Amino acid sequence: MKISWNWLRELVQLPAGVLPVDPVAAAREVEKRLIRRGVAVDAVVPVGVGLSGAIVAEVRGKRPHPKADKLTLVDVFDGQTVTQVVCGAPNVPAPGEPGTSPRVVWAKPGATLPSGLSLSVREVRGIPSPGMLCAEDELGLSSDHAGILILSPDDGLAIGSDFAMGAGLPDVIFELDITPNRPDLLGHVGVAREVVAAFANEGATLVLPQPEFSRRTASSSAAQAARIVIEDSLACPRYVGHVLTGLRVAPSPIKERLLLTRLGARPINNLVDATNLAMFFVGQPLHAFDLHVLRGSQIVVRRARAGESMTTLDDVQRPLSSDDLLIADAERGVAIAGVMGGRDSEVRPTTTEVLLEAAYFDPVFVRRTARRCKLHTEASHRFERGVDPNDGLLLAARYCCDVMLRLAGGQILSGAIDVYPRPIEKKTLALRYARTNQILGKQPPVSIHEQQAALTALGLTIETTAVDHAVFQIPSSRPDLTREIDLIEEVGRSVGYDDIAPRVPQLHMAGPTRAGCDAASTTLQKNAERARDLCVALGFDEVQLFSMTSPDRLRAVSQTSDGDALPVPLPLENPLREDLSVLRTLLLPGLLDALRKNLHHGQTDLRLCEVGEVFLVPSGERGIDPACIQTTRIAGVLCGNRSYFLKPSPTDALDFADVRGIVEELLDGLGYVVVPQATPVAADPAQPREVIIQQAHASTQPWLHPGLGAVIRAATTQATDGAILGYFGEVHPTLRERLDLPAAVFAFEINVPGLARPARSYREPPRFPGTSRDLSFLIAADIRADQIRAALLSAREPLLVDVRILEDYRNPSHIPTGQKGLLLSLSYRASDRTLTDEEAQKAHDRVVATLQTAFPVKLR
Amino acid sequence: MSLSSNAPPSSAADAAPLHPIYAELVTQLAADLSAVTSEPALRTVHARYLGKDGEIRKRLAEALRAAPGPEKRTIGQAGNTALSRGEELFAARLNALHDAARGADLARSVDVTLPGRRTRLGGLHLLTQVRRELESIFAEIGFVVASGPQVESEFYNFEALAMPDDHPARDMQDTFYLQSPPLPGSTGGRLVLRTHTSPVQIRTMLAQPPPVRIIAPGKVYRKDDDPTHSPMFNQIEGLVVDDGVSFADLKGTLLYFARRFFGPSVDIRLRPSFFPFTEPSAEVDVTCVFCQQKGCRLCKGTGYIEILGCGMVDTAVFAHVDAERQRRGLPPAYDPENVSGFAFGMGIDRMAMLRYGVNDLRLLFAGDARFTQMFR
Ligand SMILES: [Zn+2]
Repeated sequence: MKISWNWLRELVQLPAGVLPVDPVAAAREVEKRLIRRGVAVDAVVPVGVGLSGAIVAEVRGKRPHPKADKLTLVDVFDGQTVTQVVCGAPNVPAPGEPGTSPRVVWAKPGATLPSGLSLSVREVRGIPSPGMLCAEDELGLSSDHAGILILSPDDGLAIGSDFAMGAGLPDVIFELDITPNRPDLLGHVGVAREVVAAFANEGATLVLPQPEFSRRTASSSAAQAARIVIEDSLACPRYVGHVLTGLRVAPSPIKERLLLTRLGARPINNLVDATNLAMFFVGQPLHAFDLHVLRGSQIVVRRARAGESMTTLDDVQRPLSSDDLLIADAERGVAIAGVMGGRDSEVRPTTTEVLLEAAYFDPVFVRRTARRCKLHTEASHRFERGVDPNDGLLLAARYCCDVMLRLAGGQILSGAIDVYPRPIEKKTLALRYARTNQILGKQPPVSIHEQQAALTALGLTIETTAVDHAVFQIPSSRPDLTREIDLIEEVGRSVGYDDIAPRVPQLHMAGPTRAGCDAASTTLQKNAERARDLCVALGFDEVQLFSMTSPDRLRAVSQTSDGDALPVPLPLENPLREDLSVLRTLLLPGLLDALRKNLHHGQTDLRLCEVGEVFLVPSGERGIDPACIQTTRIAGVLCGNRSYFLKPSPTDALDFADVRGIVEELLDGLGYVVVPQATPVAADPAQPREVIIQQAHASTQPWLHPGLGAVIRAATTQATDGAILGYFGEVHPTLRERLDLPAAVFAFEINVPGLARPARSYREPPRFPGTSRDLSFLIAADIRADQIRAALLSAREPLLVDVRILEDYRNPSHIPTGQKGLLLSLSYRASDRTLTDEEAQKAHDRVVATLQTAFPVKLR
Repeated sequence: MSLSSNAPPSSAADAAPLHPIYAELVTQLAADLSAVTSEPALRTVHARYLGKDGEIRKRLAEALRAAPGPEKRTIGQAGNTALSRGEELFAARLNALHDAARGADLARSVDVTLPGRRTRLGGLHLLTQVRRELESIFAEIGFVVASGPQVESEFYNFEALAMPDDHPARDMQDTFYLQSPPLPGSTGGRLVLRTHTSPVQIRTMLAQPPPVRIIAPGKVYRKDDDPTHSPMFNQIEGLVVDDGVSFADLKGTLLYFARRFFGPSVDIRLRPSFFPFTEPSAEVDVTCVFCQQKGCRLCKGTGYIEILGCGMVDTAVFAHVDAERQRRGLPPAYDPENVSGFAFGMGIDRMAMLRYGVNDLRLLFAGDARFTQMFR
């Protein structure tokens, strides 16, 4: 919202000396107070400040410069003499008859411009030019430098008069950021009231202009000229119409045009400009209908009919529904209430009679229609927030009539047509003085007098008072004041938050009860933090990537197979753009993308990790609980080498065992226990602790190399496979090529558990030495290490404390086809004694026998 | 180090002459000892000459057998002398070998300025570090961490926070909606990506009665994308509800935070503002840490930098919470006549950028390892 300091100053009466004379300095002072009161000031922009000595001059003649094509020699008349000025603008107007010829702004020698430039007589390509003719930017009006500013004789600026004074300059524009609760600040009167309250202690008062149009009131009455019917009084509680006749449509004078431009509006013609000026003045949108076009000379405020449509001012035909409120004449719609006028009923050059609408439309109604039509207008913006149905509405209408009569001549018919079927009463609110201090906590407390003064300065009036409270009447321009707390806020703003001394809140030793907090989510947070720390310790750089991604990017990782088994991502209804249009179901695609970018930066040996959320729609018919959609995961990608000296050698390149080792550390660190085989134990399937590692499948992890990929599954399950908790392995070569990644990229992704890690406990370190036995044998190559481990453990040998695989040997020149040679080291120990060789050997024999019954092995 | 200091007290050459039947053997031993250069070989030589079945003992036995009675004693003594001379030679050679090996070991050297074989440490993302710092600052004054889902229902994100549909306040936050079926019950509405962390306020108050003192960090989403706005960013929400909590407490809490985070010399300024779920509301500025309030580009010449929004919890929010608690069969616990509270929310990203002078928000989400390593 733009506010003109000049206009504001007319409304705020201040004793001399309170503000500096310099307009910019004064505006800065006001800005400070406004900020303190919570009116956000985005900018304070001087307009035409520093302009002096520029006068209005009439064009009396023009001819080309003899030596330059683009220059013109212009004869200008300042009321006394004609002077030749050199001008470089392309739009120098042709001279007309003296008195009606176009006028320009001439900065004479001695004049200064807002830029600080002082003018003198200067030679331009051999011809002396006394000063210059000015464009808008040179006058500090705008950044427009397309040509010089051209004035018409109708602009009301006399030849030879000072341009700045006639144009209402200098001015300072406040650019305010108005919060949605304060519709009253969307007009100068409301801001003026705020300024008055800000300077209440200095004796500021609000001065509203008195209507002047009584002098030009016709004898016939408005009610005879037009009729207004409200069919839906809920959507339109009040509609006031004024009728003006004998008007002459023309451009507004330069002063009004410039003011509108400064306030961010485009001047149209004097009648439309009048409605806009009134809107900027009070914050009440108005609309002028050409009365001749209104069929039946009547306004009907009604719902649109099914199938009805209307062409709005912007030349768009808009289909309407019965939820839309329409301003219609006897036959058809002429405006969408509170949003935009109709093209056919707008003021046109031939208009002489208007019906001026000043109405109150229900905010929710206007908002719904504006949203449906995708139209956000100055009018809808204000109606949505709530205009003042009483004093403000009437003031705006009167002010607009005044301006119309002043700019377009004519008369106003007597009496307004005021249809107010559902009067909106002024509210009253009680304020308990003690409550104010309870909420604000100011020391010393805010006195009763201060509290009353803060509110009355804003136009509230005291209805009744008691010892401990008062009842205030609320002006209807303040729809935001509906509760006691709203009044307390007004008092707080007035006192100033600066004057409330900070206090550190007392800590209740009972503390915030953890019982209420979601224990699972707290554990999840802790585990997620631990996952981050683990990854950093494992050499990963943490990144944070967008939760939104493109369906294509998700699809790309699954293209190596049919990919039908992949979860469907949750789409956004209104994405910013396609590549952020669904929620990610995997962390991997984002990390691979980041990896690619990092490699393009010339980095090598990268390890990137992210702890973040994926979003999976749970199946089930109960509807979606939002809390169930997100799953927190830890994922990482890595490529290049392990640590090396000076220069990596081929044996330093990462391989599957590296990512497997990282995953083992992570699983361990997060409290998962890797077991060699699924056990039919009925544990909580939602919170698995024991996991198994299996070969990955192309149908579920198509992004992994078919031979070098693994899944992590919950181990505790009955019949079916346990839930997939993660995967790891080498990225599929096809995918890698498609993403332009170098040789061998490894990846992992694991659900961060919501289960606390098992409590650590002290166990006495073994006091007696153990002993170990090597076990070397040949076995079928497709029997996996975990199967062998499971077979060894199935012996349930109490003395066996550790099984380590020392060698997996498959050299075809030493090992028969389809076989592999394994070397294991089995450790035996008793906690209460030193094992004898015999005991250890007996135990070992039992374990080996168990292995031999499980699989055909050939001991070596 | 001097080798001679480790030499035996006497050497074979200085000692008294050996009995002729052993002299040659001992000379041979000395030659063999000096010919070998490793300890195992040395021990082999030792065994060959000085072992139980060694050459010297063999010679001794032969000589004893051949010698006439009276000479046996002399030959025996001479044999023992030869054995101990041999042991001396062996010990001396063993020492010499040790010393030589130690010397060779000590002769090794490297260019200590060559880079080593590095196990590169990873780094926590700047946002993680700043979030943890914020959490710990608030933990100092009794806050605990809470959290909530990023996909939210309109009830938690808007309605319960006094932002009903059709309210212009919704314009303040451009919302991402999700394509999803409508949700059941009063906690329903459409699904959105939460536009702020404030829904955690509601979730917490539904779950527990006062006193409440939580901090809730997390990702939030708004339909914005330019150098200063990202469609995803991170906020941290604070909520305190208790009896007798006032605006002064809010100010004190924020001042404590600002000085712990930005330094003891900063001050804060609260400007009245509007948020639908707090009243009175304020925006909070901190005195510019870059220019000491002289005015600079970062504070746009004002000497202040906006850091967060806050306010007293709106009574309408308490009413929504108690209504929902009752609907769920929980006792009402948030009567505004009995309890009051304050809430605040700030951008973690913004705090990080201010603190470390990062000038492009998008860098935070670019996945650039170099960026992470900068703050390792
Ligand atoms: Zn600064």
